[in-house]
Amino acid sequence: MSLIAGRSHAPWYFAAQSFAVLLVLHCSVFAATAPHGVDLDGHPVMLDKSTAPAIVLFFTAPDCPIANRYEPEMLRLEQEFGASGIEFWWVYPNPDDTAAVIRRHQAQFPGSTHVIRDTEQSLVHAAHATVTPEAVIFIPHDGALREVYRGRVDDRYIAFGQERPKAMRHELENAIAAVLAKHSVPQPGGPPLGCSIVPLGIRSQ
Amino acid sequence: MNRICSIGLALGICVVYIAGLRVCVRASEAPVTFNRQIAPILYKNCTTCHHPGGGGPFSLLTFEDARRRGQQIVQATASRYMPPWLPEPGYGDFADERRLSSEDIALIQKWVSTGMARGDNADAPPVPHYDETWTLGKPDLVLSVERPSTLPASGSDIFLNFVLPYPLSQTHYIRAMEIRPGTPQVVHHANVLIDRTASWRRAHPDTWRDGVPGMELVVDAGNTFDPDSHFLFWKPDTPALIEPAGMPWRLDPGNDLILNMHLKPSGKPETVAAQIGLYFTADPPSKQPMLVQLEHDSALDIPSGKNDFVVNDELKLPVDVDVLGIYPHAHYLGKDLQAYAILPNGQKTWLIWIRNWDIDRQSVYRYRKPVFLPKGTAIHMHYIYDNSRENVHNPNDPPIRVRAGNRSVDEMGHLWLQVLPVNTPPNSPDPRLLVEAAWMQNRLRKEPRDTLALYNLAAAETSEDNYAQAVQTYKHVVNINPKDARAWNGLGVALESTGDWQAAHQAFEKASDVDPTLTDAIFNRAKSELDHDQTSEAEQSFRAVLKQAPDDASAHSGLAQALLKKGNQDAAQSEFAASLRIDPQNVDALEGLGQLALSRGQPAPAAEYLEKAVQRSPDDPVVREQLALAYAQSQRYSHAIQQLQQARRLSPNDAQVHAMLSQVYSADGHLQEAIVEQQEALRLNASDADGWNNLGVLEARAGNSVTARDDFEHALRIAPDHGPAKANLARLGSKAP
Repeated sequence: MSLIAGRSHAPWYFAAQSFAVLLVLHCSVFAATAPHGVDLDGHPVMLDKSTAPAIVLFFTAPDCPIANRYEPEMLRLEQEFGASGIEFWWVYPNPDDTAAVIRRHQAQFPGSTHVIRDTEQSLVHAAHATVTPEAVIFIPHDGALREVYRGRVDDRYIAFGQERPKAMRHELENAIAAVLAKHSVPQPGGPPLGCSIVPLGIRSQ
Repeated sequence: MNRICSIGLALGICVVYIAGLRVCVRASEAPVTFNRQIAPILYKNCTTCHHPGGGGPFSLLTFEDARRRGQQIVQATASRYMPPWLPEPGYGDFADERRLSSEDIALIQKWVSTGMARGDNADAPPVPHYDETWTLGKPDLVLSVERPSTLPASGSDIFLNFVLPYPLSQTHYIRAMEIRPGTPQVVHHANVLIDRTASWRRAHPDTWRDGVPGMELVVDAGNTFDPDSHFLFWKPDTPALIEPAGMPWRLDPGNDLILNMHLKPSGKPETVAAQIGLYFTADPPSKQPMLVQLEHDSALDIPSGKNDFVVNDELKLPVDVDVLGIYPHAHYLGKDLQAYAILPNGQKTWLIWIRNWDIDRQSVYRYRKPVFLPKGTAIHMHYIYDNSRENVHNPNDPPIRVRAGNRSVDEMGHLWLQVLPVNTPPNSPDPRLLVEAAWMQNRLRKEPRDTLALYNLAAAETSEDNYAQAVQTYKHVVNINPKDARAWNGLGVALESTGDWQAAHQAFEKASDVDPTLTDAIFNRAKSELDHDQTSEAEQSFRAVLKQAPDDASAHSGLAQALLKKGNQDAAQSEFAASLRIDPQNVDALEGLGQLALSRGQPAPAAEYLEKAVQRSPDDPVVREQLALAYAQSQRYSHAIQQLQQARRLSPNDAQVHAMLSQVYSADGHLQEAIVEQQEALRLNASDADGWNNLGVLEARAGNSVTARDDFEHALRIAPDHGPAKANLARLGSKAP
């Protein structure tokens, strides 16, 4: 059973970046040649060393209201799938979201203890994340990470001003379940909606 | 259109027509910078919410803030998601319009695409200052919810209602209101309703402190015509609500404010602890607007899947009005909301058009200039609903048949207007009564057995002194619902006013049979008994009211009046005093205590009570007569004259006022004025023998003995045994030349 996404989809970009990118059909695999982020104490977090069946990244930002509204849902998913060995990481990609800012945010929105500061935005580039909230599923494979899902958590937010009272399709959850069941991974039905990830060059003074 | 070029073109040529001349101007090559072009846009349109501590999720006050959010700002403005503004331009001209111009949007796009330059600091506009506390300064009164409520971290939006009782024992007029929602980021909008009778709190005795769910609520407006008059609507960008000059609203002792909040879970549990700050003015309103509603909820029955379900309503204006504001409202299936007016000359005036309704961004819209609509104008509401799966707001998946209701899965279609009746002819009844009647008749056209509309119509008819019609309308209500105690009570009041007090008593009795706790009915019966000299029955009835409502000040003063009629002055005195302890402004008690003091020959304390009574009830000529009497007994004639002149103004056809004024003029030495007033009194009541005698005395004093003789003889023709007239005539005879 292939873990490769079975259909092409508009948000999937496979343009080469400045780091090593291997294109394999409809998914990207890159060799982990550098730490992909640091924890709140500044220690490198090496996702490619993981032995988990899958890694879920949740790109988030303390000042993004839609990202914040997904905290409870992401915690629920971590609780539900953590037992199956799936790793969940809360990734803070924006410059200025320092360890202190993130700690304050974690105190307010009790999230996962698995936190990565994507200080060089290498995870942003590796996953092609554009906004918070956005979720990515990687499958560690031979010391590399294969992306099998990227996009919205569910279909509650369609566009600015177009919000369902509640989600109808829990797309990330279905994708994780598919990974565990070794089925083909269903892809999100629409683009992620939220706050643009702030480019690295833009820092407050 | 005098400019043909896109601002986005860096090197474009602008073609400007000036006075017919075609002039070519080279466009500025200067780059778009934060300081020169972007900051003014943000400060005007965004930072009222997007400042630290504001309702927006992040600040846009500084260059760094804006640069960090650059891409976000482009997306949000280009899609017109931000600033939140639903009305279609050109379909109503609204104050505080937040719609960005296409030029501004293009400037933002260019700023971001060209690298977000800061620019010259000399170009920077002053940074607006936002207060973390009350924006209008310390309020005169702050009301806080009794218990903070916890909003869950996730889930669908929540609509909660909190009761904030008005704690003061005096009426105040409110010129401004500010709501501090506690956590502005989770409050989409809030509405404040005035519950005049605390009915909603009584209906939710166990839960009102914690917030009661529900999107809409109905409160009991009480028995006097006192329609809601103001939109007390809050959204994050309008923290302070300042009423126009001359249009404050009113809070009386015993009123509640109900804060209806639309809350959006934020991702973490939030504490909602709202406060309302009120700013008083001493001046009562000089203009009386009212809120009026169009709706057709009974027609709201939307089949599942239907994406173009239409609901219409139409209201014909019975008077000229200025429309001051408008509040369209639907739930999640509303799609296209239109309101317009067809003037009597056939002209169509748009009031508002919202092409893409979004409950999350609803608002009250106030017109930049009042929209004048003449009498006979038909106001139309035309709403289109989408109950298909394609409507992402649809709360039901799969779509189901939806009808009107209070829950978010139900639907609504309301159009509220704030109207100010204008061009009211002098001495005509309150024009709001006509608007109310037209509104209720419109409801009855849609739903002939709408007992609430019938009841309100009857109440309006009563207020218009159209008692016979009111009797018919109330009878219609009790025919439909014989268990409607308040309608029986209203029927009693209307019957009493037509003079049929025996039938009124039966209606009051019926009301008490249906609802023994409706003290209003017992009270009204007691009042009627008092007025028709059934004094013992009245005493018993007032005591029955007090048994249920010991703090009813009016029942205490009513009981006192009954006791006074029975000659029990001491008991009356103590009941009046009890009334005044509960309500220091109770007019009946003040008047009663004043009369008692007068009858005991104590004009000074009498004047004190009666002065307060006049203050409280300045349009009551009888109280002014009493006060004049107290002044006259203290030889304060000029004060007495002043009061009687006011009483004469209020009741120009009351012979007794003229006669009293004549007496006081005479005592104060104004003989000619005294004669004129007595003549007027006799013009109004020619059969008053005493009056003719008194006029004769005044004429005699003025030296007009011939006229005086005629007057005394006139008195004796009416009452041949009139002693004083006989004596005066005799005296005149002896002095006659």
